[in-house]
Amino acid sequence: MPFGAPFQVRLREAGLAYLLLLPSLVFLAAFTYWPILRSVWFSFHDVVLGDSRIIWLGLENYQRLWDDRLFWKALGNTVFYTVITIPVAIVCALLMAVALDSKLRGMAIYRSAFFYPVMIPSVAAGMVWVFLYSAGYGPINQGLRLIGLPDTAWLYDSSWALPAIMVMSVWKYSGYFMLILLAALKLVPSDLYEAARLDGVSAFDRLIHITLPLISPTLYFVAIIGLLHSYQIFDYVYVMTHGGPADATNVLTFYIYQNGFQYQDIGYASTLANVLLLFVGGLIAVMATVFGRRVHYLGR
Amino acid sequence: MTSLRTEIASRPAIVALRRGWLHVVLVPLALLWLSPLVWILVTSLKARTEVFDPAAGFWPQVLRWENYPAALSVAPFGTYLVNSILVTGGILAAQLVTITLAAYAFARLTFPGKNLLFTLFLLQIMFPIYATFLTNFVTVRELGLLNSLPAMIVPFVASGYGTFMLRQAFRQVPTELADAARLDGCGHVGILWHVYLPLVKPTLIAFGIITVVTHWNDYMWPLLVTNSEAVRTLPIGLGLLAKSDSGADWTRLMAATVVVVSPLLVLFVVFQRRFVDSFMHAGLK
Repeated sequence: MPFGAPFQVRLREAGLAYLLLLPSLVFLAAFTYWPILRSVWFSFHDVVLGDSRIIWLGLENYQRLWDDRLFWKALGNTVFYTVITIPVAIVCALLMAVALDSKLRGMAIYRSAFFYPVMIPSVAAGMVWVFLYSAGYGPINQGLRLIGLPDTAWLYDSSWALPAIMVMSVWKYSGYFMLILLAALKLVPSDLYEAARLDGVSAFDRLIHITLPLISPTLYFVAIIGLLHSYQIFDYVYVMTHGGPADATNVLTFYIYQNGFQYQDIGYASTLANVLLLFVGGLIAVMATVFGRRVHYLGR
Repeated sequence: MTSLRTEIASRPAIVALRRGWLHVVLVPLALLWLSPLVWILVTSLKARTEVFDPAAGFWPQVLRWENYPAALSVAPFGTYLVNSILVTGGILAAQLVTITLAAYAFARLTFPGKNLLFTLFLLQIMFPIYATFLTNFVTVRELGLLNSLPAMIVPFVASGYGTFMLRQAFRQVPTELADAARLDGCGHVGILWHVYLPLVKPTLIAFGIITVVTHWNDYMWPLLVTNSEAVRTLPIGLGLLAKSDSGADWTRLMAATVVVVSPLLVLFVVFQRRFVDSFMHAGLK
């Protein structure tokens, strides 16, 4: 029996592996994959929170979604927030990281100053910015008055409310992206810069032609992290505007919450949740195909 | 020759000049970034009327420390603090167990379906609670866990991200060490405990810091599954206070904000290197 013993060893090893994975798998199945399957199932039904009956609707929820103007508005707001905030935050983070990479005096202080917003709970950050943005006594309006600009009730103005939340998001996340980019910059061989500098390449060209290509895998990674963090806009909308004024800040996560928890319409809210997953999944796929191919890896 | 010598001589000056120029840009930017924090602190020490009076100036006339006890007395912040510690600690403890076991299996054992299962773990990163909160709420409700501390813990027990981080660290442990331990009669559990875990401590600490920061600050999920003072966490309590005040008393609200944000900020200042390293390298290993 030449294969008997190895087979038994392999069997025992596999058994042990499944045993070690079991705790994670139970929770992964119950709180990540089951909810997703369930939300697909719910989207074809009329489900009311707290009511055990569910009624088959076929594609009715999707038909309703297609005709729902508020859904399209929330989707538009979500797209607008995502595609502007993430690139702006990444550019800010990149400039911070490049500036701090030059072994500057006081580097630790700058780094903390840019990074600390990451430590602040979203609810506290949102609240503080409500104060900063407030009309009349708000510091931002007071500052604008000093230079002769008119007052704006930022969060109560339907054209400014969403950009106001976006500015706050850039403040909140740039420091996190900066740290990740700093780690990547440290890995760029300094003789490359030295050689380029001796050839008379300008600082800006060095950034575009040496730094960016070499840290592109990290930029790509930061973009994904940014996309996943952009979900958190729910917290800011909930705390700062509650979707208003006139749904100017209503985003998909918040619209799901409204339908599910305020109107108890779990079926329709599930339909929206599926669209949100498709949207984020689609964005990741687009980023993977557009940027994934252009990404350079050191030493490959 | 002379030109080369002058170039060498002038280089430190050029470097100093360039760095000086950087400070000119960085100082205002850093102040801009710090200004919300400064406003929290300053406002928390003002009188109510000073906040609304544009002529009152930036600094408070008198430092009103009494805003702090006033803020803490409007809501049971002690209970919130205990709940925050229990929930965050519970998530951290549970995750450390699940990711250690799973990461060992993925790093060092061979079994059928390994790649598929690993993909399932990794994909979890793409489905945060913000994407699944609705049907998770239905599940938690059916389990009868609503309005309890476990409700705030269970969705986060498994961590694809943590498993991935730790698997990468385990793979860097030389297999000779494990082989030596095996010859000494150690089983898998013994090897995991005596060889692997001590060697990946930095990764465990990095993951721990990220988890604590994330879940200490969690807002949406605890908001949805709690509805009584006894189980609320600090961020939820702060949000409620903001809602009931609705801008009427910024001084009290900002004092409460200082209390809520300071535990992590103080830890951050004290263990700056650790925090920075954790967040810096979390995604790169």
